[in-house]
Amino acid sequence: MSERFIRAISAGEIAPGGMKAVELDGNEIIICNCDGKFYAVQRRCGHMNAPLELGTLDGIYLTCPMHCAQFDITDGEALSGPVPSDIGHEILPPFLGKYLQNIEMLMKHVRTESIRTYTTKLEAGWVQIRL
Amino acid sequence: MSQHVINIESRKKSLHYFFEKVVGPLGFKFTPDKEMMNFLLAQEVILEGRHGIPFCPCQPLRNDRARDMQIVCPCIPFHRKHFDDIKRCWCGLFVHKDVFDPDKLPQLPPKEVNNE
Repeated sequence: MSERFIRAISAGEIAPGGMKAVELDGNEIIICNCDGKFYAVQRRCGHMNAPLELGTLDGIYLTCPMHCAQFDITDGEALSGPVPSDIGHEILPPFLGKYLQNIEMLMKHVRTESIRTYTTKLEAGWVQIRL
Repeated sequence: MSQHVINIESRKKSLHYFFEKVVGPLGFKFTPDKEMMNFLLAQEVILEGRHGIPFCPCQPLRNDRARDMQIVCPCIPFHRKHFDDIKRCWCGLFVHKDVFDPDKLPQLPPKEVNNE
């Protein structure tokens, strides 16, 4: 299959430090503006598929809103896994405690994978992405 | 903890980026001893891989969430008074901005400076 650049968004649509989710040919992608340089990565987190545009972008580092796994948007590398949560000393109803235990047990087996990146280019004020 | 193979060098770089933003406004900087800085950051990456959180590499974990959270790097805000007296944090990853030779700093226990 031949790869081609697809016009995604106008460069002015994302302020520096911002992100925007787009869908191109069935691919869910987020475009990040890192101080005027545009990067595109897959929209879904490499841990549990959360939508990454709802997270935070700081420089080239993208943090997932769900469990705070972090990724480098320049190459998609997973830099850290999920941050463990804690409910403190709160006493939960037994069914909820059991449910959370079950979730925790399942999550132990979830790997945090690196995310896919896409080549971008800026042309005539448009961010284009190679698919 | 979920399985994740961490590239220590990449994670060190990102921790450096995030920590610098936190410690700068607190009047601290990374130690000028680069070898020590790299070693300590690498230990934090290993601890993060094990526990999900980059704890201070020189402090023991006590299995007490509230206390353990006080040694998450950079732990400066929790132990500020002692760190200000000794011009560095306990493990030495951060020093006051006016420190250029951390080896010359005195090592004063908290009791001696009487503030913790």
